[in-house]
Amino acid sequence: MKLKIWILTLLLLLASGDTLNAAQTLSVDIFGPGQTRVNILVLPARGVGGASATALARNFGEYVQGDLGFLPFLRLAYLNEVLGGDPSRGVKSDDIDFKPLQMGRIDLVMTIGGSGQDIEARVYETFTRKLLVGKAYSQVGADGVAHVADRFCAQLMRVLTGKSGFFDSTLAFSKRVGGGKELFTASALGRELTQITRDGGYNVSPSWSKDGRQVAYTNISDRGHRLGLWDRGRRFSRLRKFAGDVVISPTFTPDGKIAVALSMGGHPDIYLLDADFKVSQPLAPSWAISVSPSFDLSGRKMVFCSGRLGGPQIFLLNRDTGVVERVTYEGTYNTRPSLSPDGRFVVFARMTGDGHRIFIRDLVANQERQISFGPGSDEDPSFDPDGYFVSFSSTRGGGAKIYVTTRYGDAAKLIPTGPGDAMAPAWGVATALD
Amino acid sequence: MNAKRIFAMMLMLSLVMVLGAGCAKKTTDSMPSSATKVEISDKDTDWQKSAPAPESRSLTEDEIRAQQREQAQREVGNVIYFAFDSFELTPESRDVLTSKAETLKKYSLFNIVIEGHCDERGTSEYNLALGERRAKASQQFLNQLGIATERMTIVSYGKERPADQGHTEAAWAKNRRDEFMIQN
Repeated sequence: MKLKIWILTLLLLLASGDTLNAAQTLSVDIFGPGQTRVNILVLPARGVGGASATALARNFGEYVQGDLGFLPFLRLAYLNEVLGGDPSRGVKSDDIDFKPLQMGRIDLVMTIGGSGQDIEARVYETFTRKLLVGKAYSQVGADGVAHVADRFCAQLMRVLTGKSGFFDSTLAFSKRVGGGKELFTASALGRELTQITRDGGYNVSPSWSKDGRQVAYTNISDRGHRLGLWDRGRRFSRLRKFAGDVVISPTFTPDGKIAVALSMGGHPDIYLLDADFKVSQPLAPSWAISVSPSFDLSGRKMVFCSGRLGGPQIFLLNRDTGVVERVTYEGTYNTRPSLSPDGRFVVFARMTGDGHRIFIRDLVANQERQISFGPGSDEDPSFDPDGYFVSFSSTRGGGAKIYVTTRYGDAAKLIPTGPGDAMAPAWGVATALD
Repeated sequence: MNAKRIFAMMLMLSLVMVLGAGCAKKTTDSMPSSATKVEISDKDTDWQKSAPAPESRSLTEDEIRAQQREQAQREVGNVIYFAFDSFELTPESRDVLTSKAETLKKYSLFNIVIEGHCDERGTSEYNLALGERRAKASQQFLNQLGIATERMTIVSYGKERPADQGHTEAAWAKNRRDEFMIQN
């Protein structure tokens, strides 16, 4: 879908200076040991000059609140938490009585104004009365309002935390179509849902290239396993056969190579492919199954799943030294690891008596904790580009759907992907397809 | 229907030609007296009725092959089952595979696809690897019994194609399996 809107990301007058000051005043450390929670109140949208709000502005407000609900470091406050109700007469700081907001422990207040196809949105810090983010958007169509709300929330998240990967990413995932599976993409909020492959058979295990231009995946059909490569620019996928019987868990390295489990020596080991898809020596070879490689941003650390010591466990390869280290000791079935971009955290699926659950291991502090709690089975965890959010698939609602939590194990939120099972979400830095 | 009619017409024509040739030589005077005399009658014959019905014709090569294929599929179609997270062949599975080896020797023209499948309890990527090990276990066993590896293709479906959609131990047990398909 081509957005038919022009978004004027005009920083409102004085906004840039204030934003800088304000950001120094209030910032949220989403990576700190204890996560702070900031209360934000979104005031009802207003029209200009006392006019009632446009439907567009009201819609915008609803989308913003939906988006902010995905950010666990924000708590959406209700108007009835403020003594005397709505403390504003307009959308600018002079029109707002900040005192009742301060008394109600509201940290941030958002105003929305709209007339015709224009929308103005501002977020103030109530204790300093400073503008954190102010944006004006013009010629916004009804079909573009969600996109505009997402962009505003991305800016707010960036000002508060310094990161906005959640809003700037596109998820690729596998979805049941007819009797098989094809790949789809959508924003992390489930918008711009697009089917990108039509290969037939089962397309599974998508992985984005770091530049967001390609998705590698496995195609399974009665012709065997093939490596699929989808090109974003050409909107085209091609399939490639390899020697051996399997092509499992292809994963892009940060420098654009593909690591993939192939069965060249009688069992699946992880190999690096060069630009011509030539197979090199295996990484961390063993006599047993090795699959599901995942790399940090340097590409020098690789976690993977292997049955070299019996049941499947998570291991870490240091590619500089060649040393392989066992990561998981609890449980008898630990699979599908994802390494955080900074190489410090590993998320993985552990089989428990109640199904699989997502766990996180801090490789520096050597601590482990559970971050997903079912019911059903939680699988396929994957770190977002910031290493803060973790997407996974879960059967908690019946069929498999995609959810997102954080590395702190915040309440999981469903990412809408339409009817039909969806699984194996992978984050890409590319923005959603238009 | 048309094909049958054309076939019948052609048969009729060829019979007419054969008989026509016979009619040209009615006298058998030059034959030795001991030779059997052949009475030739020119009376009308209902050719349509005496021509053999198309249904009773012998099978074409393709049809024979299709029949054999079906028979071979029936004989190799038995599924073998595995324990959780295991690709070890049970004694029962070995017996089943031994009889499959006999079938494959009998039908030496056919190749097979061995499909490795897993239950839903494992995770998908590890299951794809496990499915291959299961299919490979059968392939290696059949190879030991004299079936060339080239005749056996492996496809691991992991947990993508369960035989039983249920979520019970009984369903899972049915899904941890190797299936065998005649390929060509």
